[in-house]
Amino acid sequence: MKKTIPVVLLCAALLQPLARGQSGGGQMPKVGDIAPDFKMQYFDGHDLKDVSLSEYRGKKQVVLAFYVFAFTGG
Amino acid sequence: MKNFQQNLKKLEATDTQVLGVSMDSPFANHAFAEQIGVTFPLLSDWGGETTRKYGIYMDKYKAARRVNFLVGKDGRILEEQIDSSAIDPTKIVDACERPKLKG
Repeated sequence: MKKTIPVVLLCAALLQPLARGQSGGGQMPKVGDIAPDFKMQYFDGHDLKDVSLSEYRGKKQVVLAFYVFAFTGG
Repeated sequence: MKNFQQNLKKLEATDTQVLGVSMDSPFANHAFAEQIGVTFPLLSDWGGETTRKYGIYMDKYKAARRVNFLVGKDGRILEEQIDSSAIDPTKIVDACERPKLKG
């Protein structure tokens, strides 16, 4: 029974970063950091197309323009 | 997004791909692109995985912050613009032209 408490604490410590990641507390990458890879889709009017950041590596620079909601602002 | 569209020729001339990103559905983004005349892809981060990975998810609005990143060919971030300063992309456009000058 004495061992239970340290085990519970260890589990809590291990799970904490996961919980933080889910709540959106990840750090924004800084200038000089490697941009995290992603895979997302867009609709071109006919099909859904996959786009990943890694496909541009060594070929093109990429501007990622995050915006809050469609149909608001410019 | 319109501001990037206005600078698209300049950006394409410097080997730069522009990608808009939001947590809207692909179909909402397509309609939005048509409405404002944007010809580059508007990617759908449905569920917010990428937005969280980039540390710019806002709990309050359940959406991304307004942020522009310029990613170099080596995959590193060369420039950032955050919130209200992200509306005018001049800094990013200028930065795109920098490697060309060097080369």
